Amino acid sequence: MSQSFRLEHAGLINRDKKISFKFNGKNYQGYEGDTLASALIANGVHLIGRSFKYHRPRGFFGAGVDEPYAIVQLYRNNETEPNVKATEQELFEGLEANSVNCWPSVNFDVGAINNFLKIFLPAGFYYKTFMWPKSFWYKIYEPFIRKAAGLGVASIKHDKERYEHKYEYCDLLIAGSGPSGLASAYAAAKNGARIILAEDKPRFGGSLLTNEVNIGNQSGKDWADSIITELKQMPNVVVKNRSQVFGYYDHNMLVMSEKVSDHLPKTKKFHPKQRLWYIRAKEVLISSGSIERPLVFGNNDTPGVMLSSAAKEYLKVYGVLVGRKPLIFTNNDSGYETAIEFKKNGIDPVILDTRKNPISEIVTEAKNLGINIKFSYVVVAAQGYKKVKSADIASISDDKNYLGKIENIKCDCICVSGFWTPTIHLASQSGNKTKFKKEIDAFIPGVSKQNETTLGAANGVFDLEETLKSSFNAGYEISKKITNNDNRVSIPNSVEKQSTEHDKFWCVPLPKGKHYKRFLDFQNDVAVSDVEIALKEGYRSIEHVKRYTTLGMATDQGKTSNLNGLQLVSNIENKVVPEVGHTTFRPPYTPITIGAIVGREVGKHTKPTRKSPMHTWHEKNNAVFVDAGVWLRPRYYKKGNENLFEASKREAKNVRTNVGVCDVTTLGKIDIKGPDSAEFLNRVYTNAWLKLPVGKARYGVMLREDGIVMDDGTTTRISENHYHMTTTTAQAANVLSHLEYYLQLVWPELRVNVVSSTEQWAGAAIAGPKSRELLQNLFPKVDVSNEGLPFMGYIEGDLFGVNAKIFRISFSGELAYEINVESNNGNFMWEKIIELGKDLNIQPYGTEALSTLRIEMGHVAGSELDGRTIPYDNSLEGLVSKKKDFIGKRSLNRKAFTAENRQKIVGVVPIDKKTSIPEGSHLVKDAKAALPNPKLGYISASCWSVEHDNPFSLAILKDGKNMIGQKLFVMSPLKNKVIPVEIVSSHYVDPKGERVRS
Amino acid sequence: MLYIFCPHCGMRSQNEFSYGGDATVKRPELNKEVSDKDWDNFVYNRKSLRGKHWELWQHISGCRQWIKVERDTATHEIFNTLKADEEISK
Amino acid sequence: MQKYSIFSLVKNALSNHENWDLAWKDPTPKKEYDVVIIGGGGHGLATAYYLAKEHKITNVAIIEKGWIGGGNVGRNTTIIRSNYMHDDNALFSEFGMDLWRRMSQDLNYNVMFSPRGIINLAHSDAQMNMYARRGNSMRLNGIDAVLLNREQVREIIPMADFSENVRFPIFGGLMQPSAGTARHDAVAWGYARQADSMGVDIIQNCEVTGFDVSAGRINGVRTSRGDIKVKKIGLCVAGSTNILAEKLNMTLPIETHLLQACVSEPVKPVLDGVVTFGAGHFYISQSDKGEMVMGGDLDGYNSYAQRGNLPTLQHVLTEGIAMMPFLSKLKMLRTWGGIMDMSMDGSPIIDKTHIEGLYLNCGWCYGGFKATPASGWTFAHTIAQDKVHKLNSGYSLERFNTGHLLDEKGLGTKTWIS
Repeated sequence: MSQSFRLEHAGLINRDKKISFKFNGKNYQGYEGDTLASALIANGVHLIGRSFKYHRPRGFFGAGVDEPYAIVQLYRNNETEPNVKATEQELFEGLEANSVNCWPSVNFDVGAINNFLKIFLPAGFYYKTFMWPKSFWYKIYEPFIRKAAGLGVASIKHDKERYEHKYEYCDLLIAGSGPSGLASAYAAAKNGARIILAEDKPRFGGSLLTNEVNIGNQSGKDWADSIITELKQMPNVVVKNRSQVFGYYDHNMLVMSEKVSDHLPKTKKFHPKQRLWYIRAKEVLISSGSIERPLVFGNNDTPGVMLSSAAKEYLKVYGVLVGRKPLIFTNNDSGYETAIEFKKNGIDPVILDTRKNPISEIVTEAKNLGINIKFSYVVVAAQGYKKVKSADIASISDDKNYLGKIENIKCDCICVSGFWTPTIHLASQSGNKTKFKKEIDAFIPGVSKQNETTLGAANGVFDLEETLKSSFNAGYEISKKITNNDNRVSIPNSVEKQSTEHDKFWCVPLPKGKHYKRFLDFQNDVAVSDVEIALKEGYRSIEHVKRYTTLGMATDQGKTSNLNGLQLVSNIENKVVPEVGHTTFRPPYTPITIGAIVGREVGKHTKPTRKSPMHTWHEKNNAVFVDAGVWLRPRYYKKGNENLFEASKREAKNVRTNVGVCDVTTLGKIDIKGPDSAEFLNRVYTNAWLKLPVGKARYGVMLREDGIVMDDGTTTRISENHYHMTTTTAQAANVLSHLEYYLQLVWPELRVNVVSSTEQWAGAAIAGPKSRELLQNLFPKVDVSNEGLPFMGYIEGDLFGVNAKIFRISFSGELAYEINVESNNGNFMWEKIIELGKDLNIQPYGTEALSTLRIEMGHVAGSELDGRTIPYDNSLEGLVSKKKDFIGKRSLNRKAFTAENRQKIVGVVPIDKKTSIPEGSHLVKDAKAALPNPKLGYISASCWSVEHDNPFSLAILKDGKNMIGQKLFVMSPLKNKVIPVEIVSSHYVDPKGERVRS
Repeated sequence: MLYIFCPHCGMRSQNEFSYGGDATVKRPELNKEVSDKDWDNFVYNRKSLRGKHWELWQHISGCRQWIKVERDTATHEIFNTLKADEEISK
Repeated sequence: MQKYSIFSLVKNALSNHENWDLAWKDPTPKKEYDVVIIGGGGHGLATAYYLAKEHKITNVAIIEKGWIGGGNVGRNTTIIRSNYMHDDNALFSEFGMDLWRRMSQDLNYNVMFSPRGIINLAHSDAQMNMYARRGNSMRLNGIDAVLLNREQVREIIPMADFSENVRFPIFGGLMQPSAGTARHDAVAWGYARQADSMGVDIIQNCEVTGFDVSAGRINGVRTSRGDIKVKKIGLCVAGSTNILAEKLNMTLPIETHLLQACVSEPVKPVLDGVVTFGAGHFYISQSDKGEMVMGGDLDGYNSYAQRGNLPTLQHVLTEGIAMMPFLSKLKMLRTWGGIMDMSMDGSPIIDKTHIEGLYLNCGWCYGGFKATPASGWTFAHTIAQDKVHKLNSGYSLERFNTGHLLDEKGLGTKTWIS
């Protein structure tokens, strides 16, 4: 069977280029310009998949984004993608696709048993059963249900495709390139506005591609082509096809997804698969058109039942017949247009019109063409399982309550038209409160909320002349407001066949004794009877109905089902539709590829990586790195087969005995200048700062207003009105904002300026008993004696031609210095230190050794300052001034903070002096107590003390002050460990702090 | 994404800013007696109502100035922005 | 009340489903009640249910501005867990786990509680230690927790990123095997149906316009459907707490923020349990329908706009792909925003107030759904007995004054930083 449903001449496809593709393993051919759907229909294939719940056969219902049925698993360039709509997927050479949600095959699907059980599976059935016995839900029932659900298959392979983002600003964004989009775009562009015109389909023109109309004395399609050609040449215009504006967000930010490569066999080099556009528009024109509504009747989900507009589109755009014996079922003139197209192509359709005696140009034309029309007739039920074979039809009474005698007529497709639903999603997303327009039984946008204007069919205007007039005018008026230009183009004359009113009838009553399923939501298998049950059980709000029945929750998001659902509820509840309400539309309009939303920030680029100027040196010297926020820091420098524990012990020991060097570039640095700097620091830190002399550093602790420690670090007075503050790596950005907050908002009278200088300085800490000697080597002309540069002193020096700042500060508890040079000299400094330290047995040390050194000294760091502790907890109460006020002081008098048995930092040593204590363990009195076992505290940091050569930990312990000398248990149930320990002082090494002053 | 007027730099997208909470909260003066209630109101308690809300933003990836913004918490519409030293008039 | 079972389903099928009872009635409000619960969300409905069941107080009305279950109980990511570090949070949640395990049978409504486990991924040794601290605390509180190394994580979730091209490699994770998910709407409906059957009036489309407070005690509530005299009122309106507090002249340690979530299109089962990303704020599970349910950040500024925001979701999904790169090829189907009561220490408040007869249940931050049964149970106790239960004694309003804070994250009062 080779394209036997393809017409010889019709359509916009490129017949010069044949394309081979595979569906369910079988080879087919189509043409360039086909969608997968049109190509399959051309080959007579109508069975595409199975429905979600009953596994009923599914074919094609639409021809675009509204498609509820035709979902396939796509294979492209060795990748697979689930849940692709065949009606949207353009055909490319080598395309492969399979049916989803069926096993073993779409033709013979075991799940279809549900179709026979369907009377037992009404709306909400799973809430009422699967409860006994208790454990069966998640052991047996649920796994079965999970397996049965889910449509396509997600491959867990990494996505090799690339996605991009683009940010754009424009005067006017126009969504949709039908008559109204083109008219407004043209008028605005000619008036000098910067515009973006977006069309979701490959071809521009919207309804002009399928409607028999004339504009400016040419066919609608030719007019559309000429407008697009002209727009594309204008420098102030961006025209994009395959681009769906799917979200209208705050402050006129719209987001558009452009399918750059989905229509190609594979993505070209350096091209993205898709591109996401964030567009900030001054004004937005919504010309998104309308979607045809289904009529509801028995078995209306049978393959071959489809929208009449879709049948027409397949015919006119793709030159494909959806059937040779079409039955058109309509309540308005649109169905006639489809019938006329069939007739023109030599096919004899039958029209069933629910109306009694419509009079219009279109109806007359159909009559004149000799088309068989039955007025006051309806389809009662489609017959056929995998494809429509015939239809049960009947006349219907004027009040639409009674059916006449049922007749059966042969047909191979049923094209339905239940009038049109404006696509108001974007307007609704903008915050526009939509209103119900009775004449068209549908919602249209109300008063604009943001800068959006809805035009044409999306605004419920189906008349071409009126659409063109309002759209040309809107394009002109809105652009004039922005550009102040006054170039007005004339509105072309237009001709279209006059139509008459539609019939508000949409749901065919069941004949006596028949229980046909009449579907509202085709993908989720929600039928009229399901909504009836929901209402009967009291799920009456439309949101309850939706959630209880899953109406409108499928991947088509109810584009063809929402309004009929509302109509049904309003009929049963005896309310008008707007009283029932409607669910608010939320972005995205149609499902959007997650990769496109994320863009380039994937893999290693998920977050930026920050490296110090000495990073390359570390790499060359076998550093093993650790993430510190977004920074990479050397954790240890591996020698031979050493592991982390051995290496860090070696490095730490070398600091205690010789000298080590550590990269401290990542520490936050803030430059503080101004005459009131001392006063400012005095308010920011808990300790006193007014009397710090020039050339001296001081350690400080800052609190949040709630009394919790925010950060710690040293600040140095460089000159009279100039300070250099350091913060922890993690809190650098927060501290800067914190300082700016107080300076700008709370104490603007203080003459102080702060600026981050983290990036400006590279830092190296040299620590150990031999560090003074090293410093002397580095700065031969500087007096580095204990008198010349005392503890907490600061001087500047010349490091072989490079200016350096030298701070005598220590985190390791050893005699230590910190040297800062401008970042681009960082590596020079580092190499000099290594070179001149060689004879002193210098070794670089990483964060792990640094931790060891600070832990055994009882210096607190991030694991103690964890956003939950006050100064007292960290034995920093000595730094809390009683005399002056400072940020957070007032909070320190809270009852829990001043409690006699308040937690406090202590040291912990295992009784056996051997067993390492896992970090994150807890301290308890009785290791064998019943659960919940009261916890007295937790291990915040652990190390192997190089000084004492045994394990040592810090802990935050309840009543820590009075616990020194007590014997407790460390418990780590996760690691199955119980360790008897003794509580000691947190200052395990050099408790008097003599070394740093030596 | 919000589009915020920075009085120093002009219209900028929200991703250049960081949020700072209720702008009407006033820190009690230093070195003055503050009742528990007033202090807790400053540290913890917030009105956070639906509708117009004066709030702080910092133009962190721009001029680094803190600004005051009047925004509707339901619609996100922005009515007004002020520099840090400009008083909110009610 | 009709009992739901396979038998009732078959019986009703044979009568063409025409004899199903109302799940709950639609009464007009009476003039007076013993207790009025404001807020027909999960917590409010559960509170009414436990008031009737545990305390035999049935002259109760739930008044709901919109339709029941329309707030956060219907707009969350359905995760149920008790993996907390602080004792007050842990013991409260573990009590709740017990109620979850029995809920379907208790309510005769299948809420589809499914304990498929939760894994919190760690991306550094420091984070492993933080999780160890939490996990050990859980174990000492009698809650199940397992610390997984990288290989153990890989065995359970091979689709996570174990490649070289990764910014934050997986070091391991903390798992609570008994955690899981449930069908959120069913929880609200199940509680509603049982509460209704015991005599509770569920009054929808009824907005509170004011309160009648005199001499320090509550006497009634004014609503869009008339004034109601009442002895006790339970405020259960997370997301709107600040609005009602204003009507009571109360200012609370709560800000209202928006949490973003989304689901993908449904796919065949690929992920069994819940997984959270450790280098950001992303969590994911797969629903029984096949949708990947994903959530993460707050919008970052006070908001009552119940809608999705793409820049926030972009951030959330960036972390999603960082954790599970295969998500890239799926499509985002629906997005929504849930309005959160963000309390100043990240933990809730279930307490009496300075107004006699007024009880407060709020501040649930992201954790409201899982707390539904325990919250309802303890709140019912607090209202019925006019005193807090041991389980919610930590959730006092006073703690912000005394400093007995329950800050799981250590972020303090910047509630908008998630």
